[in-house]
Formats: sequence, structure tokens, C-alpha cells
Amino acid sequence: MATVAVWLVLGVMLVYILGPLVFMVTASLMPAMEVTRIPYRWIPQSFHWQNFWQAIRGNDGRFFFVRNMVNSLFLATAITLSTVVLSTITGYGLAKFRFRGRKAVMLLIVATMMIPFQVVMIPLYIIATSLGMQNSYAGLVVPFLVNAFGVFLMRQYLLTFPDEILDAARIDGASEVQILWRVVFPSSWPAIATLAILTFRSQWDNLIWPLLIAQSREMQTIPLYITLFAEEKFTDEGAMMATAVLASLPMVLLFFGLSRYFVGGARLFSAQKG
Amino acid sequence: MFFGLFSIYPVLNALYLSFFQKHLLSTAAPRFIGFGNYQYLFQSPTFWNALTVTGIFTGGTFAMLVGLSLVLALFISSRKRFQRFLQLAFFSPAVVSTVVAAAIWLLIFDPRGIANQLVNTLAGTPGVDRRWLVAPGMLQLATMFVYVWKYVGYFTIIFIAGISSIPRSLVEAARVDGASVWQTFWKVTFPLLKPTTLLVSVVAMIQCLRTFSTQYLFSQAGSPRGPIDVITLNVYHTAVRTFQIGRASALSIILFAIMLFLSWLQFRVARSEEVSYL
Repeated sequence: MATVAVWLVLGVMLVYILGPLVFMVTASLMPAMEVTRIPYRWIPQSFHWQNFWQAIRGNDGRFFFVRNMVNSLFLATAITLSTVVLSTITGYGLAKFRFRGRKAVMLLIVATMMIPFQVVMIPLYIIATSLGMQNSYAGLVVPFLVNAFGVFLMRQYLLTFPDEILDAARIDGASEVQILWRVVFPSSWPAIATLAILTFRSQWDNLIWPLLIAQSREMQTIPLYITLFAEEKFTDEGAMMATAVLASLPMVLLFFGLSRYFVGGARLFSAQKG
Repeated sequence: MFFGLFSIYPVLNALYLSFFQKHLLSTAAPRFIGFGNYQYLFQSPTFWNALTVTGIFTGGTFAMLVGLSLVLALFISSRKRFQRFLQLAFFSPAVVSTVVAAAIWLLIFDPRGIANQLVNTLAGTPGVDRRWLVAPGMLQLATMFVYVWKYVGYFTIIFIAGISSIPRSLVEAARVDGASVWQTFWKVTFPLLKPTTLLVSVVAMIQCLRTFSTQYLFSQAGSPRGPIDVITLNVYHTAVRTFQIGRASALSIILFAIMLFLSWLQFRVARSEEVSYL
């Protein structure tokens, strides 16, 4: 009896969670007429592949989708790489070396983690504008090159890294750079993968900053492309879902390839509190 | 260095700017007006509306998120089979970005969309339009559904990790002593889960206060902005559409103050009862 109730709740929630995803995929294959048909047919009658062509081509036929997709991939990758490298180096320094002001730096980093982006975005916007960074890759990338959470995460992880191994490497004559590159990086893989996915995902999601800084359509990113596409009154509903599917593909690939680290992110987050 | 430049300085700058009247496009030096921006805000109905709307959204979403993810985590942990499948399934909305999520739900809440069809089927009232994207209350509810949908799996996984760190022997001992499932939960599991609950509620609350994409996309797609004009959306409009940079800064400082206060409050409440496994 209790088991039935539990499964009932889980079932209802599963429909709530998975329904919209199924809707996205099926609607992307339907002509607009079918998407708003009552009742909705969960299995497409025929495959309307034109939607995907329409999504890529755009309503104006100028193929901004391609450019914006490349932008998004480039930005997210660049930011992820720099975050991972800089966070690991800084985290290593903070975890394994004693120097004056280390506590103060840690405190500063933890305090920074608390500050939401929405609070700093207006001043950042003014700085970026005064540096002439609107509509440039620099303007889109620079504010995110490193983040406090990443440094904190890597430090926490490297604290547990055995000193003996580092000492052994030093005795063998390895320089600090070599140690970092040959020892610390390879053995921090789980933390690095988690951080990389978190960073990539948050950048892939980032709407508000590109909205401020990138006005020209050449410099915009996928989230902006989707909002513009949704705004245009004559947008075909099926094509809109096709855009959504295409925009989700990179994350889906990451998710299936590295779901362990996806879920690990949430776990790690709770573990450091525990 | 980097943090100094990109995080601390902007905060101070925001605070500084919030005391000035500055027009984004004008080259004139910003004029110092003291607390003028704050005074203006406190007298502006738009500001109070934004505050109320943010309160409603955060309150509703927060309650649903924490409640649902706790229940789901308990149910999933109590299952012997399909645990991994269920976790991944509930986590799967994480693969779509917030904008995509909003776009999907925009079509679901369409007058001819699935949301109306489902409600009408359940209520036996064919053809009624519930005005999901137009009526203020429904619009607020709609944005909450989008947000809960997107994030509930994430918090469920945090809760599951918390539950799995509770020694099984404690729960079993309680059951052997004759406690019901219900009693075991309230007397054993829930108190021990307190650190996790605190973490989830702080993160979830800040997350809710930061919401932007859903409200932005909905209002761009033609919904009235008033009922979903959360503070972040208001900051954006104040800065970019009306170019009042000083006022926008004052707004974001207020948002920050609210977040700090609520986090502090939660830690205070939590600290009053420390947890131990003994």
C-alpha cells in the first residue's frame, strides 16, 4: 500500500519532469499546426525536418544561428579552460604553501563567492563599456576568467592531496611548474572534471551578461538567439523547439559522456559542508 | 588581484554609484545625490511591486523546491531498484539551459497548449483557457513551475547525499524500538538531515532571488511584465531601457542586502540547534 503511494508520487513527478523534455523533442518534429493541436499527439505523425532547417536559417535567412552557436561554444570553452587552469594553480598555492596573508586571501575568496553576479553586473558593464569592450569577445569572456568558487573547490580538494608525493617529486628534482603539470593536474581529474562541467554549464546558460554587452547579432550567443527567435511573432512553434533541441545538444552529449561528474557536482557541494 | 578587480571593486563601485544620478549615455560627470536614489526607490510603486513580486516568487518557489526535493530524496532513497535511473531522470532538466526551459514552457502554457489540456481533462471542463501567460496570479505560478522543474532534481541529489551519510543503524534501531516510519522520519532522519537542509535552503533561496531568464523570456514573448517584474529584471530594465545607472545600482545593492540578511537569518536559526550523530 505504502509502496504504491510512493510510486504514485514518483510517477507523477516523473511525468512533470520528463513530459516537457519529451514535448520539446516531439514538437521539434511537427509542423506548427500539430504543436498546438488539441489534444496534443505525443507521437509525431510524420517527421517535419524542415523545422531544423528553419532553426538554423533563422526567420531572416541570415544564418545567425551558426555564428551564435560558434560564439557560445568558443566562449564556454575558453572560460572553462581558463577557470580550470587558474583555479587549480591558485587552489594549489593556497592549499600547499604557507605565506603571509594566506588567511586574508582565503577570506576574500569565500566572501567573493557570496556575491551574486546581478550585484556586480552594472559596474562591470560600465567598466567594460569604458574600455570599449562592447560587442567583443574580450568583453564577453574577461569577467568570467576565474571564479572564486572554482578556487575554493580546488583548494578543498588539494588539501587532501598527500604532501609526501609532492616532496618525492621535489627530491627527484622536479620544478614547481613540472610538479603542477605532471603531478597535480593529472591526479585532480575528478575535481577538475566537476569544475569544468559546472563552469561550462553556467556559461552555456548565461543570458544576462551577453544581453548587456553584445548588441550586434554577430557577437550574440545561443541563449540570446533563442530569446530573439521566441520574440519574433511569426516564429514557427515547431522551429522554436527545433532550436531548443539544437541548443541543448552539447549539454546532452556532455551529460551522457560524463553524467558521473554532473551529479558529482551536487554531491561535492554537499560534502564540503558536511 | 583578479578578485579584487572583478568582484570586490564592482561591489564598492555599485555602492558608490548608487549615490549618484547618472545617465548611461551622457558624458556629464555623475551628480552626487546622496541617498536620493534610495529615496526615489522607496517612493516608487514599481520598486515596491518588484519587491513584492520577488517575495512571492521566492517564497513560492523556495517552498516547493525544498519540500518536493526532500520528499523525492526520501522516496528515492527508500527504493531498492531504479535508484540511479530516478536520480538521473529528475536531474535531466539540467541539460537544457534556463532559456530553453522557458521556451519549452512558453509553448506548454500556450492557450492551446498542454497545460490547459491537462487541467481541463482533470477538471472535466473542455475548452477553458486558464490564461497562464496573461492573468497575474497564473503568470506567477507559471514562472514558479518552470523554475521548480529546472532545479528540483539538483536539490534532490544533494538531499540524497545527505540521507546516505546518516548511519543506517540509527534508522534501523528506531524501527526495532517500534517507531513508525513517520516517527522515525521526524525524530531521527529529519533532525540529522539539518545541515543538508540548511545548505539546500540557503542555496535554493539565493538561486530563486537571482532568477532572470524565465521572467525575461516570458515578458519578451508578450506577457505583462508587472506580475513577474522581479528585482533582477527591474535592474536590467532600469539600466538598459531607461539608462538610470545609479538607480539600477541602488536596486542591486538592495537585492544584495536582502540576500545577505536572509542567509544570515537561516544560519542563525540553524545554529540554535546543533546536530550530532550521538
